[in-house]
Amino acid sequence: MGRYLLRRLAHAGLVLVGVSAVVFGLLQLSGDPAALLLPPDVAADELLRFRRALGFDDPLPVRFGRFLRGAVVGDFGQSLRHGEPAMGLVLERMPATAALALAAMALALGAAVPLGVAAAVRRGSWFDRAAMGAALVGQSMPVFWVGIMLILLFAVWWRWLPAFGTGTPAHLVLPAVTLAGFLVARIARVTRAGMVEALGDDYVRTARAKGLTEAAVVWKHALKNAALPLVTIIGLDLGSLLGGAVITETLFAWPGVGRLAVQAIANRDFPVVQAAVFAFGTIFVAVNLLVDLCYVVLDPRVRAA
Amino acid sequence: MGRADGWIWLGAALVLAGVVAAAAPRALAPFDPVAQETAQRLRPPLWRDAAGRLRVLGTDHLGRDILSRVVHGARVSLVIALVAVAIAGTLGMAFGLGAGYFRGWVDDVVMRAADVLLALPFILLAIALVAVLGPSVGTIIGVLGVTGWVATARVVRAQTLSLRARDFVAAARGMGAGHGRILFRHLLPNTLGPATVIAALEVGRMILLESALSFLSLGAPPPTPTWGGMLADGRVYLSGAWWLATFPGLAILLTVLGVNLVADRLRERLDPKLAL
Amino acid sequence: MRRHGTTVAIGLALGCAVLPAATWGAAGTPAGKVIVAQGVDATTLDPHNHEEAPAYNILQNIYETLLERDDQLRIVPLLAESYRAVNPTTWEFTIRRGITFHNGEPLDAAAVKFSLDRIMDPALKTKQAPNFRLVERVEVRDPLTVRVITRRPYPTLDAQLAIRGNIVPPKYFRGTDAAHVARNPVGTGPYTFVRWRKDDEVVLEAHAGYWRGAPPVRTVVYKPIPETSTRVAALQTGEVDIVVNVPPHLVAALRRDPRARVSRAPSVRTLFIPIYTVKEGRPIAHPVADPRVRRAMLHALDVEAVIRDVLEGQGVRTATILTERHFGFDPTVKPASHDPDRARKLLAEAGYPNGVDLVLNSPDGRYIKDKEVAEAVAGQLARAGLRTVVRTFEWATYLNKMVYAHAADPMYLIGWGNTTWDADRCYYPFLHAGELFANYANPAMDRLLDEAQVSMNPRRRRELYAQVARLALEDVPILPLYQQVDLYGVSRRLRWEARPDERIEARTMRITPGTEERR
Repeated sequence: MGRYLLRRLAHAGLVLVGVSAVVFGLLQLSGDPAALLLPPDVAADELLRFRRALGFDDPLPVRFGRFLRGAVVGDFGQSLRHGEPAMGLVLERMPATAALALAAMALALGAAVPLGVAAAVRRGSWFDRAAMGAALVGQSMPVFWVGIMLILLFAVWWRWLPAFGTGTPAHLVLPAVTLAGFLVARIARVTRAGMVEALGDDYVRTARAKGLTEAAVVWKHALKNAALPLVTIIGLDLGSLLGGAVITETLFAWPGVGRLAVQAIANRDFPVVQAAVFAFGTIFVAVNLLVDLCYVVLDPRVRAA
Repeated sequence: MGRADGWIWLGAALVLAGVVAAAAPRALAPFDPVAQETAQRLRPPLWRDAAGRLRVLGTDHLGRDILSRVVHGARVSLVIALVAVAIAGTLGMAFGLGAGYFRGWVDDVVMRAADVLLALPFILLAIALVAVLGPSVGTIIGVLGVTGWVATARVVRAQTLSLRARDFVAAARGMGAGHGRILFRHLLPNTLGPATVIAALEVGRMILLESALSFLSLGAPPPTPTWGGMLADGRVYLSGAWWLATFPGLAILLTVLGVNLVADRLRERLDPKLAL
Repeated sequence: MRRHGTTVAIGLALGCAVLPAATWGAAGTPAGKVIVAQGVDATTLDPHNHEEAPAYNILQNIYETLLERDDQLRIVPLLAESYRAVNPTTWEFTIRRGITFHNGEPLDAAAVKFSLDRIMDPALKTKQAPNFRLVERVEVRDPLTVRVITRRPYPTLDAQLAIRGNIVPPKYFRGTDAAHVARNPVGTGPYTFVRWRKDDEVVLEAHAGYWRGAPPVRTVVYKPIPETSTRVAALQTGEVDIVVNVPPHLVAALRRDPRARVSRAPSVRTLFIPIYTVKEGRPIAHPVADPRVRRAMLHALDVEAVIRDVLEGQGVRTATILTERHFGFDPTVKPASHDPDRARKLLAEAGYPNGVDLVLNSPDGRYIKDKEVAEAVAGQLARAGLRTVVRTFEWATYLNKMVYAHAADPMYLIGWGNTTWDADRCYYPFLHAGELFANYANPAMDRLLDEAQVSMNPRRRRELYAQVARLALEDVPILPLYQQVDLYGVSRRLRWEARPDERIEARTMRITPGTEERR
């Protein structure tokens, strides 16, 4: 178990370096931000001086080495635009993104798991068809369209909820629902598929024969086995929720990391982009490590591997 | 029997509609999608102009007919999605087969690369790539194709792993078959099934991603109509001229729904164990 | 006797009731809260280290400059009581007596010198430094007098000091580092800083001891809302009071909304299309090198239609890069007529009877409706035989890889709004050979521009710029389009009007009595 953990940690470290390298390469290729940071009618030699001062004239490997050395101690440099430590800016906004992601995931699970279970239990019925049909439709809708329609309906026409920003729990509702929409569909379908298979297994028949109530069979035994693929999906989705909340954060003016990252790319604020991507990568890797550990707990067959 | 077949026909019909629109847009579209008539801008659906011509779905902010743009947009969206899926699928097959068959360091490299790709937030990666390469249909296809191989690779790898332990592979080896022969003659055909299912599922996802990129102004440049681009243009008009964004949104929804319906039934027939 | 007493008592009572209402607008206690929604958040609150409108809007409530522009855009003294040019390279400013910073430090000549020196400090590399390139040094003559010596005659220094050169408290700035200062501004302005939650809000509170009197609105909050539809929706729901950059087609809807209205102000920014006549030092190998082709393009355009249809009338036709408020504007120079036949004839004369193929490069989302304008222009050009394809780019790529790299040939769309409101900073960068934005080389033009840049005689400068305008109309280095109109959505509970220089001054805001507290 200990060695397994160590291996996974080393692997995680490799992934982070890989992620950083890819983004680093891309950013450097996209041109330098000197022109964006200075007033429009600056003289050409001024621009050059600025570039050199920021270190953009050094060769690529040198710059990446500098970045790695800093990353190891948590120093991702100063934001070119804000003049503050880049990772500080990212961490400042992490709670907001985390709140949104967790709310969306909680909402999605709370709605989708019971739906999936119910559909599996009533397999073949109109309920099953309607639920999975709705899920399929949900998986086919563009996120930003859903968000804009929700704002129009609930904020502008009906005035039930605020249209943007943070402050009260009410502010969390529309963004979380927008994000959760796609997830509900996916989780419901995966849950149903897993449950259908689990319910058909031998041991379930045995449990029923032993006289256990249907509820116990469904919720205690079958769900535990359906949980494995579900947990994997949750792990992957949570990771990408953090990155993919970008459009939602922009739409609802939510002060999160995704929005910061997009702005930073637009402004070619390299240190902030690197810091944000590194943070996302770390969370993703950590979450998936947790998922792997859950596997070990849920399925003893994996422990041996 | 009955239930599954009903849905697949609906799905097939939707997909067919999209394909026909993509193949012969000029036959279906009543107007030129890029012809501007700014005096006729923001007309509602079913509006008839002075010359008696009907704009079934209304006009956009530059007076262009929305139905025509939706029809022409099908080609761009579908071509991008299909080519991207083809590229992603091919890469995925190659990597998956290699990883599953040769194992060892090949497997390690492929799986690590997959992990790196998954850990990178797609949107940020796409924005950065487009910033480097410039927005064009080619860049979008490249971005989607190069980042989309993971799902296929994983499935193909799993399948390969379980196949290579089987008797027929050992038998082929015994008869002196080289790696290439085993891979192409024996393993490839058996992994095509699951790979195709994944590819079908991915088409829908690619269409959605392309529309997200167009929404962020990273898609095909104007005046080419793309569904995502039309959504982006129309989103500031939602409260007044809702038809600019609603119809392309509906087009995306119906096409992706159709694709997903077909892919879903395909999955149920071929390999119900495949994760979604 | 008692009757008089009662009358006096009643009178006093009435007076006490009426007096607060009467003085409320003038020097009464600040009350109420106003929320302003901009498109982006400020990246720093260091007044010397940014060049962005959102930061200017927030900071000019906290910090002040030596001079300012009144609502007619005339340059008037602010922290300086008076100023004069001692000789062509020396300006003298007399500081107003008795003003203190929010932290109690006094405003004096030493503070002014410290502030201007800080901007120019090479170690700090502030973003406003390039604007002070021509300043050689700042001298303190006595506690209330400062002299600014320039390297050569700098006729637009006062225009610069009306927006830049915020005066900051020396002890505070010396006693802490740049990072702290960037998050905790302290100035002389009508509002003090309360807090800043990045990407969420900046909160300001009225400064009761402000030297021009406490402002009427107690709390002002600036919030960034990037998505346009969300921003406008927030005004309609009553969540914000002022909204920046309302898209033209929503003006009618907002006007109909009982809670909102629209305030418009012609902007300092004009949009135009520079055409490449030289590339890499040589005349460009493209049909646009021929002035007849360029004149054809000028006549093929129907800018009025673009303003009417794409901008819903929210635009003002321009004949040059200048607006009527710019120094150097000549009202006798008229824009070219829309004449597609003449355009086709000119094309034929130039040897292109079958038309010409062009590319128009444009940003997407940088200016109001920029992409739509480019598409409309391309459509108009095409109708006269100038077949045009539009290529759009996001702003950073556009600026870096197209405009600055001189790779945006044969033509590109750009907006320009230099807040010195002077023709020099508008014409020079685009029309003078070798400049950062210029893709044009005309020695006659260069001579005019060079002389106008250093002359300290306003009349002579005006004459020269009139000649520049006429030369530009003839040789067509750019296709002038229109002056942008800034559209603001404003809550009806607020009395505030938009300014042509995009500033949002909280000091001039007045809340309708009875609506001070937000629901």
